[in-house]
Amino acid sequence: MIGVLPDWAGPVAHYMIHDGLKETLRIAAFAVVGSTAVGILLGTLMTIRFWPSRALIRLYVEVFRGLPIIVTLFLVYYALPGAPLIHHRFAAFTGAAIGLTLWGSAQVAEATRGAVQSIPREQHEAAAALGFGWIGRHRSVILPQALRRLLPPLVSLLANVIQNTTIASLIGVTELLATGQRSVERLQFTSPESHAFAIYGAIMAGFFLISFPLTRLAIFLERRMV
Amino acid sequence: MSLLASIDWHFIREHLPDFWQGLKNTLKVAGIGIAGSLAIGILLGAARAHRIPVISQLAAAYVEVIRNTPILVQIFFIAYGLPELPWHPIHLTQFTQAWLSVMIWGGAFNTENFRAGFEAVPARFREAARALGFGQVATFVNVTLPIGGRIALPSSINTYISVLKNTSLLTAIGYVELTSTGYNLESETFKATEIFIVLGIAYLAVVWTLSALIRLVEARLALPERGR
Repeated sequence: MIGVLPDWAGPVAHYMIHDGLKETLRIAAFAVVGSTAVGILLGTLMTIRFWPSRALIRLYVEVFRGLPIIVTLFLVYYALPGAPLIHHRFAAFTGAAIGLTLWGSAQVAEATRGAVQSIPREQHEAAAALGFGWIGRHRSVILPQALRRLLPPLVSLLANVIQNTTIASLIGVTELLATGQRSVERLQFTSPESHAFAIYGAIMAGFFLISFPLTRLAIFLERRMV
Repeated sequence: MSLLASIDWHFIREHLPDFWQGLKNTLKVAGIGIAGSLAIGILLGAARAHRIPVISQLAAAYVEVIRNTPILVQIFFIAYGLPELPWHPIHLTQFTQAWLSVMIWGGAFNTENFRAGFEAVPARFREAARALGFGQVATFVNVTLPIGGRIALPSSINTYISVLKNTSLLTAIGYVELTSTGYNLESETFKATEIFIVLGIAYLAVVWTLSALIRLVEARLALPERGR
């Protein structure tokens, strides 16, 4: 397949796939695992009727759902190192993974809260009657059922996280979009054409090929559940 | 506490006019993008809901492409890809690139919002209008649009909020809105904490106001028989 490409495209495609795409998927993996873990924990805790913890988690969710992701990334990457007690500069990759996790976990927390609250009261009561404590009740009875309802939003989150990793290029992570941008800049100097149209078009096509099956899967899972 | 004490309040006061100018540019480009995505949403949403041949399929393809590709790549494609279009390069001013990219994105999501809204209007309402002698267009304008538009309103306001948040990505093409104002100021002054806290507060103020509007609108415009 590489054979049909024009001369300039071979090395560019190699660079973008081996460096860029790999980095994109690496950030996405960290962010999805982090968002799911933090989000399910916070979403479950939000169902406890204790207003201080509820208010705190609600604030977390509203802040990170409300901020544009790029502002969250700038806060983590540029502003946090200046904050007292922290004084630590993250690598761009870490900053991006943390920033995307803050945003993603807020989405997951909200979805988890809804899923946990959609489990009928009787399930809580039956588990309590069997002698389960709060943790055992949630781990063995409530969350396994809530997780089934959570699956479609988690699949859409995966698609969204993969798309939003492109924002990491703005704090200097060399993911897929950044490698494309560098290729365009290099071609501008070394050849008569920058091929920006083909390169950015190819990046769109690449994301579409990854994202479209995931959004279809999310719709399929949602329909099957109803 | 030590965080509050370490903040340079004088710096923030001094640069408030810059932030205000950036916010105005953000609101300007978001306003145009939102108005355009409303028009696209109603037109293509109607074409999708009424299954108008060709237009409906093209609209479906448009929606899938926009929803399954990152908006930042769409912005790059419009700003840097289109001028390099072989045979027929398209050069747009930076301002046009800015509103066009957020409008195309919002239009795709709004097409889905309005399609769902229009499809939720019971067929008997349209049949009643036709029985009263309304034509197809008159039925849409007088029955489907007011009722379906109300049903679509909360989800479409959510899309408008996202359009506004997405304008922050115009930083990447150098359009001077709120985020790039902060970013440029940071590279001159290194006051990252102050600048990005101001930015965060400004965005949350606008986004939370719009979210509150959704709840208000939901309560006021709820159709009597779908009331909660």
